[in-house]
Amino acid sequence: MTQQVNAIGDACPLPVVKTKKALKEMAEGTLEVLVDNQIAVQNLERLAKASACAFSFVQDAQDHFTVTLVKQAGGDEAQDAAACACGGGSTVVAVGSNHMGDGDEALGKILIKGFFFALTQLEMLPEAILFYNSGAYLTTEGSESLKDIEALSNAGVEILTCGTCLKHYGLEDKLKVGGATNMYAIVEKQMQAGRILRP
Amino acid sequence: MRVKTKKLIVTFATTAAVMALEQACASREELGRVIPTPQAISAGCGLAWCAPIAQEAALLRLMEEHAIAYDAMTLVDMY
Repeated sequence: MTQQVNAIGDACPLPVVKTKKALKEMAEGTLEVLVDNQIAVQNLERLAKASACAFSFVQDAQDHFTVTLVKQAGGDEAQDAAACACGGGSTVVAVGSNHMGDGDEALGKILIKGFFFALTQLEMLPEAILFYNSGAYLTTEGSESLKDIEALSNAGVEILTCGTCLKHYGLEDKLKVGGATNMYAIVEKQMQAGRILRP
Repeated sequence: MRVKTKKLIVTFATTAAVMALEQACASREELGRVIPTPQAISAGCGLAWCAPIAQEAALLRLMEEHAIAYDAMTLVDMY
């Protein structure tokens, strides 16, 4: 039996909230969600992906979309990972330094460690973390944040470090987590992000 | 899927105390690490020590050896 959620006229993140609730109450089956904008469709697609649901949608009119999610048994587990990216795109963290804030550098290094630990404690993780300038020290050998960044990588967060910066600091052979990237990718990731977080 | 487990969280009155503990534990990674104080806990200092529950006795011994005073110990579910 197909269930339906009417989210016409609902502001973000209500369509995702209503859909998550409906999916949670379903053991398995088909859920139709009615929304009135493309961003809501994209957010529901992310939710479907994180919930291991099959996803499809039909645009019935200019401001009327019918989204169909098919839930398999046991699909609840991944729902918390779904990000509702109001404004389009998800969260990207941009790290331009190996310490956090100005002032006492020793404190700044403790704060940046705390920052990455706090990221690991989030229910909804960012899509990607970009490291550049002395931020490159954080993804390389000897970094005291490596374990947290590895945990984020293992949880699906894309970890990218500026290749020019690795070369500048002589860290090319010391990258321990994620991949090297270039300025075009760094700019594109930030352009596509709904929000950018800077420690 | 990420799973939370219970961790021993030690809070301190000052940032200096938790930084001193970090120095004292420099070569003993098994004793834990500095973290931002979890929001579920209220303390005078914004930094706390997070350790495996099994390390409580060793941690207490080390703090005593280094004369590091703590405020409280709490168990908190953490990723």
